[in-house]
Amino acid sequence: MRGARSAKWVAGAIVIALAATACGGSDDNSGNSGGSGAGKNGGTFRMGITEPVAIDPYNAQESEGILVTDNLFTGLYEPTADGQVVPALATSKKASSDGKTWTFTIKKGTKFTNGEPVDAQAFIRGWNRVAQKSAASDVAYHMAGIEGFDEIQAGKSKAMSGLSAPDPYTLQVKLSSPDFEFYIKTTHTVFSPVPKAAGDAHNKAYNEAPIGNGPFKMQGKWEHNKSITLVRNDSYGLKKAHLDKVQIDILNANNGVTLEYQGFESGQYDWARMPTPQLPAAKAKYEPQGEWIQEDTNGMNYLLPITDNGPMKNPKARLAVSYAIDRDAIIKGVFQGMMTKSTTILPPVFKDVYQKDLCTSCVKQDKAKAKQLAREGGLKPGTTIELGYNTGSGHEEWIQAVKQQLEDVLGVKVKSTGKPFAELLADQQKPGATGLYRFAWGADYPTPDNYLFPLLDTASINKDSSGKVTGDNRGRYSSKQFDALVAKARSTADQAGRNALYKQAEKKALDDMALIPLWNRTQLRLVNTKKFADIRMDFHENPNLAEISMK
Amino acid sequence: MTELVTGTGEPAPAPAATQPGAEPSVARVSQWADIRHRFFANKLAVVGLAIIVVLVLTALLAPVLAPYDPLKQDLTATLQAPGGKHLLGTDALGRDQLSRLIYGSRIAVVVGLASILVALTIGIVLGALAGYFGRWVDTVIMRAADIFFAFPLLIGSIVIILLMGRGVLPVVLSLGIFQWATFARLLRSQILSVREMDFVHAARALGAGRSRIIRKHILPNSVTSVLVYGTSNVGIAIVAEASLSYLGVGVDPEVAEWGNMISAGRGFMGVKDFMWTYPSLAIVITALGFILLGNGLRDALDPKLR
Amino acid sequence: MGRYVVRRLGQLVVVVLGATLILFACLFVLPGDPVGQIAGSDKARDPAVIEQLHKQYGLDKPLVVQYGTYVGKLVTGDLGTDYTQSRPVAEILEPKLVNTAKLAVFAIAIDIVIGVSVGVVAAMRRYSIWDVSATFVTTLAIGVPSIVLGMLMQRLFVVELGWFPLIADGSFKSMVLPAVTLAIIDAALVAQLARSTMLEVLRADYVKTAVAKGLSRRTILFRHILRNSVIPVVTYLGISFGTLLGGAIITETIFNWNGIGLALIQAIQQNNNPIIVGVVTISVAIFVLLNLVVDLLYAALDPRIRLS
Repeated sequence: MRGARSAKWVAGAIVIALAATACGGSDDNSGNSGGSGAGKNGGTFRMGITEPVAIDPYNAQESEGILVTDNLFTGLYEPTADGQVVPALATSKKASSDGKTWTFTIKKGTKFTNGEPVDAQAFIRGWNRVAQKSAASDVAYHMAGIEGFDEIQAGKSKAMSGLSAPDPYTLQVKLSSPDFEFYIKTTHTVFSPVPKAAGDAHNKAYNEAPIGNGPFKMQGKWEHNKSITLVRNDSYGLKKAHLDKVQIDILNANNGVTLEYQGFESGQYDWARMPTPQLPAAKAKYEPQGEWIQEDTNGMNYLLPITDNGPMKNPKARLAVSYAIDRDAIIKGVFQGMMTKSTTILPPVFKDVYQKDLCTSCVKQDKAKAKQLAREGGLKPGTTIELGYNTGSGHEEWIQAVKQQLEDVLGVKVKSTGKPFAELLADQQKPGATGLYRFAWGADYPTPDNYLFPLLDTASINKDSSGKVTGDNRGRYSSKQFDALVAKARSTADQAGRNALYKQAEKKALDDMALIPLWNRTQLRLVNTKKFADIRMDFHENPNLAEISMK
Repeated sequence: MTELVTGTGEPAPAPAATQPGAEPSVARVSQWADIRHRFFANKLAVVGLAIIVVLVLTALLAPVLAPYDPLKQDLTATLQAPGGKHLLGTDALGRDQLSRLIYGSRIAVVVGLASILVALTIGIVLGALAGYFGRWVDTVIMRAADIFFAFPLLIGSIVIILLMGRGVLPVVLSLGIFQWATFARLLRSQILSVREMDFVHAARALGAGRSRIIRKHILPNSVTSVLVYGTSNVGIAIVAEASLSYLGVGVDPEVAEWGNMISAGRGFMGVKDFMWTYPSLAIVITALGFILLGNGLRDALDPKLR
Repeated sequence: MGRYVVRRLGQLVVVVLGATLILFACLFVLPGDPVGQIAGSDKARDPAVIEQLHKQYGLDKPLVVQYGTYVGKLVTGDLGTDYTQSRPVAEILEPKLVNTAKLAVFAIAIDIVIGVSVGVVAAMRRYSIWDVSATFVTTLAIGVPSIVLGMLMQRLFVVELGWFPLIADGSFKSMVLPAVTLAIIDAALVAQLARSTMLEVLRADYVKTAVAKGLSRRTILFRHILRNSVIPVVTYLGISFGTLLGGAIITETIFNWNGIGLALIQAIQQNNNPIIVGVVTISVAIFVLLNLVVDLLYAALDPRIRLS
């Protein structure tokens, strides 16, 4: 449940949002045509990003910040692009039978670039640093399950009581409630180790030039709105990177995508996104040359129905909306065919739990069924449905298409309102909100729980005293059966059993149409395969800098 | 504002319309005939007038002229190049560009005229009060004018729209609110000069009442140049309106409006240029029309400046 | 003179305070919590984090107190702290203001060189083909708003011909198109203004006298005509410069010029109120200050004008 990926496609420039496109759930790594195995060292990899919020693990959150942090730091585990988890510095993991105590052993002998050892204390130091009340970290909530988190957040302690180091290279984590997926969470950069030199979260010098233990290290400091330069860490404790240097330009969010594309065309960049209007032309030109990457990612686009109030309270009305939308026509007409229809709540990259076409109303527009369900669900001609979206991110067009389809098929009146982000959020949160909202979600770590719990569990509604929703379940979906399934999954130690329960929970939510799937987020990139080999897109939609090599 | 039609919105020293020589009511009939004659003798002014007339007619007759419903989407025929069934092509939602262009003239005319009307109303009332009463009334009104004048037009408008939300009314009001100061200043300076003219002194000497002097003598002789200036500012308002839409803070995005069309076509530069070039052309022609009309009126009123 | 300047400076303070107060009041009643969500994402921040940020930014205080704090800091040149990067607004806006200023200076230089020379030539050769075409071209130029001009130039010189870079890196080359876009309308207006004032001066008695005295053409042109025609042009350019420095939103957006106009548009999408207030404060302050400078220049250029 990060804002991370969402930050990029949801809030970014017009083109960014529209650049979310799709190919159809394949493993098509067409950009990865080179790759002679060994891979030569050297080279400067050049790319553009927009200004990150932070590159220090204490607050790195969106895809851009994570790109840098992820390459400066190495934690216990790492996510793979297709949603698996592989060990990094962890050499073993063990969960107690009650799922409340985790013991990790850490690879011995690795160091930070300033020579300090990366041991269990380095992890404890890093985690406590984030969780401090004074850090006001946006990503600290990932640690909420650790014992002592509430106390440190309240400013009552300086360290989480659940963290300990029985020996220098063993890290023990006690959780306040069972979590058999805790190790998956440690793939997030917020769980990075930091050296003593880091100081507290507001150490300006460290925020701007973090000293880490990753495959790369900073050259100079973060030049805000200008650039960040990384160079290879030759003393890296795991498999060393091949690239000498990574030159990251920071571009303006407004037309950063266009700039990346133009930069690639003129040979200034080795990796680039493209503006949607240019996609067909770019594909025709670069795909035959093997410089085109097309990958499904874990991001999902939905319509969020407010389920406790207004016209979308009735599940049949929600189903009617889903049947009334012609996703294929919108994808073909508005997105020029560069998107994939979505028929699930969970992303297709989570292969173990993917249930294609689970949402039957998503598969094909069915006007007759939509009309019938609308009647049964209390949608009358003249019913007004609010449709909220945020402006400046390129959502205007498909929102208008959805609006027209709903009006044509259901005979209702759709009132679409575009607002800046904060106002949209306030609208969704306030008591008495009704109708539909544009909504998007990307995973923080590869587990179905990261979608189902925050978006749909009753515990994630979190109304405050005024009735304002402060959790991420802003559709206010509340089902005892769903909650029970998720709770059961969470307390199941074995992964296959867990996944089976998550699949049931997803089915329940879709039967109730608690979220209306629209299309997947498939990402398109241009990559310089003439000069570099082994380029792929990682879990965070970034280039796999640590593995890229010269041809 | 420098970005808009004219530089700063400051009345360039030129339109000093009814300065001396403009005798009051006595010679009015022949004076207007003169003005009309001079206006129609000016070919560019006539062209300007013609453009405006066509624009207004297009706006009025939009439902008759437009081949399609400007809001009707056809997702099977998006981004069609000009020609065939769609003379100017279709947009990303398959809506007919020509129809959207034609209906766009309605927004242009309505916003252009209404916002200037708002600005003129506020400007004339406050400017007259300031110019005639002077003293603290003048000081208060002029300081307020300074504040509003100091806001760049687009920046000021954006603030109001943030507050009121997108839509035609917010755009009209915001553009009006940030243009009145110019009119008020212009009117005030006109009044100050007219107030000291002989015919006003004469009227006062003859025992005319204060309100009669304002109504019959000062205002008619001061307000003309303000109205002329207002005319040329309609073009500025139309461009500002389109600019707001281009920035994503104008009228609602689905509305058929020129700035929205340019904004939607912006990303297609070099690929589907027809998306933004036609609405651009419409804006340029409209802006030119109002400039030519304004210049023509100014010159007709004050032949000395030609 | 001294008293005049002091009085004008007083007015300037009133205007800046008035403008920022209006703005503050507007933003204050705006719906939505500016720190309620993680930078640009669909995710709401933790209520505890929100509370802490409210304290940090003083958002828990009433409007009057917030405004008072803002003004208090403003006096020391502190524009507050922004919401998305937690950096001082002044620090964020400074390089952007420099960028905007670069563009403004460039644009004004073009206005002066092109505008004045076209105007002078047109006036000196009145009714010639030069004069007629100047009138035509300038009228046309005034009618092409920057929203259209900028896109046309980008299409032609960047996309089609590739003469200029698309990436505005602050280099001279990347500055040309936005500066020209900004300058053209003003240059045309300056040309028209220069022409009409020169024609007026040419009719003036002192010029006729100078000609009768048999002074050289050059002396008459520079000593008498230009000097007297320059006043309205300077006025106009001064005000125009003030507006340009306030951020050219459209041009900066089209060309991705990293100035305060672009910063404003981005801040609006992010509800980053400190940046919005900062840009408007700067823009308004520069504008009124430039107006004062223009009035002083006016007096310096025209001895007949007395400031009181």
